[in-house]
Amino acid sequence: MLKILIPTLLLIPTSWLAKAKWLWPTTLLHSFIITLFSLAWLKNTTETNWSTLNPYMATDPLSSPLLTLTCCLLPLMILASQNHLAQDPLVRQRIYITLLVTLQLSLIMAFAATELTMFYVMFETSLIPTLILITRWGNQMERLNAGTYFLFYTLASSLPLLITLLAFQNKTGTLSLLIIQLLGPIPISPYVNIIWWTTSLLAFLVKMPLYGVHLWLPKAHVEAPIAGSMILAAVLLKLGGYGMMRLMLILSPLAKELCYPFIILALWGVLMTSSICLGQTDLKSLIAYSSVSHMGLVAAAILIQTPWGLTGALILMIAHGLTSSALFCLANTNYERTHTRTMILTRGSQMILPLMATWWLITCLANLALPPLPNLMGELIIISALLGWSWWTIIFTGAGALITATYSLYMYLMTQRGPVPNHMISMNPSHSREHLLLTLHLLPLLLLVFKPTTIWGSAY
Amino acid sequence: MSAWRRLHVKVRRAHGLFTSRRVTEQYTWMYGPSTLGQNLSTGKPLRNDFFKAQLAAMRKKAADALPGSSWSPFDINPNLPPERADIVIIGGGVMGWSIAYWLKQKERVREGVKVIVVERDLTYSQASTVLSAGGIRQQFSLPENIHLSLASADFMRNINEHLGVLNEDPVDLQFNQSGYLFLASEEVAHIMEENYSTQRQVGAKVTLLSPTQLKEKFPWINTDGVALASYGLENEGWFDPWSLLNAFRRKAMSMGVIQCCGEVTGAVACSVVHDGITACVEQVQMPKGLEYQMVECAIVVNAAGAFSGKLAEMLGISSNPKDTIAGTPVPVEPRKRYIYVVHCPDGPGLDTPFLIDYSGMYFRREGLGGNYITGASPKEADEPDTSNLEVDHQFFEDSVWPRLAYRVPAFEKLKVTSAWAGFYDYNTFDQNGIIGDHPVINNMYFATGFSGHGLQQSPAAGRAVAELILDGNFKTLDMRGLGFRRIMAQEPILERNIL
Repeated sequence: MLKILIPTLLLIPTSWLAKAKWLWPTTLLHSFIITLFSLAWLKNTTETNWSTLNPYMATDPLSSPLLTLTCCLLPLMILASQNHLAQDPLVRQRIYITLLVTLQLSLIMAFAATELTMFYVMFETSLIPTLILITRWGNQMERLNAGTYFLFYTLASSLPLLITLLAFQNKTGTLSLLIIQLLGPIPISPYVNIIWWTTSLLAFLVKMPLYGVHLWLPKAHVEAPIAGSMILAAVLLKLGGYGMMRLMLILSPLAKELCYPFIILALWGVLMTSSICLGQTDLKSLIAYSSVSHMGLVAAAILIQTPWGLTGALILMIAHGLTSSALFCLANTNYERTHTRTMILTRGSQMILPLMATWWLITCLANLALPPLPNLMGELIIISALLGWSWWTIIFTGAGALITATYSLYMYLMTQRGPVPNHMISMNPSHSREHLLLTLHLLPLLLLVFKPTTIWGSAY
Repeated sequence: MSAWRRLHVKVRRAHGLFTSRRVTEQYTWMYGPSTLGQNLSTGKPLRNDFFKAQLAAMRKKAADALPGSSWSPFDINPNLPPERADIVIIGGGVMGWSIAYWLKQKERVREGVKVIVVERDLTYSQASTVLSAGGIRQQFSLPENIHLSLASADFMRNINEHLGVLNEDPVDLQFNQSGYLFLASEEVAHIMEENYSTQRQVGAKVTLLSPTQLKEKFPWINTDGVALASYGLENEGWFDPWSLLNAFRRKAMSMGVIQCCGEVTGAVACSVVHDGITACVEQVQMPKGLEYQMVECAIVVNAAGAFSGKLAEMLGISSNPKDTIAGTPVPVEPRKRYIYVVHCPDGPGLDTPFLIDYSGMYFRREGLGGNYITGASPKEADEPDTSNLEVDHQFFEDSVWPRLAYRVPAFEKLKVTSAWAGFYDYNTFDQNGIIGDHPVINNMYFATGFSGHGLQQSPAAGRAVAELILDGNFKTLDMRGLGFRRIMAQEPILERNIL
């Protein structure tokens, strides 16, 4: 664990001491090396599932794919931000990289935490660099509103979680995940079990986001700069899912009845947000709503607490992380050239940038869960698990899958096909940096086709 | 008693000079604060009025804290344009607002494109739109011009279908369809006949009149020297330009177009590839101040009218060598034209068309009280000075009145009641509009240079530009002939007018 944490921590002095010409290549190279080291976490050889154990941090098959995803994303964020930060003064570029590294550190420690207290503290800590990224480097005045929504939705819902964790510590004397997994049902007064259940999970449901409390997500994703959008879509949403999976261990006898309204809300959200996607004019907003839609499926799967549900949720989380991040990168390449996110004004790019159209095609197909990509594996396992829980969910999940396919293809056709507008005739050609960025998103996705057991999680 | 009161007044007023209020309070405790019946203090109120001032302030603060209020912690100028927009239209005249309306009309979903219109003078004191005579005709020689005017006339006849806003007053353009009457002399009669056949082919409702028919129809005309006359029967006449501008503006703003009062003083090119530039950021300066805002945009539309050439120059278009494509300047400059309002009670009457004589003089009826608007095109050599909008009354005496009185004898006795001057956005190249995109700057579109017939073509021209931007090419009317290409290729398309 330290062999990842110390180099990540030392990326901060690297970004401050590197010479101007070598700032971006240096940080990029070092974060790639950290990613390579983090791949070692994916191999799990112990019987108890917990490996690289030390008193505070450990990895298990649930957290190691998310950890590797997080470490994988830092070099991609640095690659993506290089162009639009080039006009900023040098100090601001260094601050930007420092913020990204701080965010990375808090996320690694959150996923690797064995004590729920540390998890909670790191969960809150990850909000601060993200808030700074959105409000300082966003593009429009609405970013202040977006930052406020983002911060206060998460803060207001996570304060009850703190109370719950303290009460739990009081009652059972421990907050370590290693011990909690062995405890039996917790004796709670029947009057407070609803409150107990809600306060434990509300923070994560808001973070996922669940459909009723999802308003912060379109705002934050659209107003954030590209690195902010990438980390938000790929990792921060998964923090909610991961937290839910961990905390539901302590809620087991209650979950059978209390999860009903939230499963319905999540499935309804899948349908609703997919439909909203069909009528969006702003490209980033469309991708943001598509994230809500996929995460609705994940939330429903985690809430039914079956082994297949948890497996499917984890696979879909990893696959969606890579796909969504790739979509935001593609939207950003468009935005940097035409300075608009409106889809009507940025059509017909296939004629002008054909290789980028290839990446658009693969990413949109991944988004609509095309076999054999892990997106389909996740969705299929989730749909089967939900079907086992109740026959009626097939209406929601089936219609949701249909509309997902519709809007993914709509996004592809609107941006790539159609008449080329006059103002796009001479755009800058694609940079090889952009091609590298998208390859590094799609290559892990394609590799996962061959060995999905790496991201299966511990439930199977 | 009154002397005592006057002493009070002196003491009260002097309380600023003496150091304390004790002096006044000594005398006023007997009588109370409002003894004198008037409040003499000029600073804060004497009584601390909690309910009016402080409570209201607290309620306002609470209301601002609720979501949906527009309070922001930064005390910035609320009139600044937004930091980014999809389409920036420079120029808030009838052409700019027409383009804004059509862009919003053609977006397929609500809030599809973010449009802002930047106008530097919201009183429109120098804008060509509101100073125009307001005429509309189809009697051109170029089919494109005829199409544009015909489509615009159709738009204006059904204006409330297009520009009506719910719960607001209907639009009344006062569209007098009295027609245009062109008079041709012997030498140019053949041009008029050719134009007539073009117009009829395109679909304009025009008719030719011989001098005798002319005299029969309009007995007040002196037909000496007139060989042929061309009279528009439908869709021609005049209307109120201010109403059209406001109708477009009201409808566009109700559909979400943002109006910004400011002047565009610069642009930043964000990508310069070997065959094109993309302007991506416009610098908008606030009026009466040093504040400016950089507006990031995808498309820029130059609808600045008479000042388009100057704007293009300022944006750096013509800073390249003159004989390159990149260095072709936008050939639009302001030309001053005068309009005189005359009162003649024995004049032609209510069915007067917009008469244009072959000598360059024109007049039309204005209102129902015997007033007429008249003017004339000056010769090329005597173009008036365009630095101001002062009216030259001598021009009326020398050039307009003689021709007017010759053509209509009743006008020998008239009185000039008022006059004004306005600019044509004169296209020095071929006096026809430029509609299209710039060859070098990829995301800049033009709708300017109409040289006196911009107002009448504005609805259709706005639709043409909106189609170009959103659909990629012209859909309803083909305006490729009016593009910038003809200026680069130095192929003018001149109107074959009789004057």
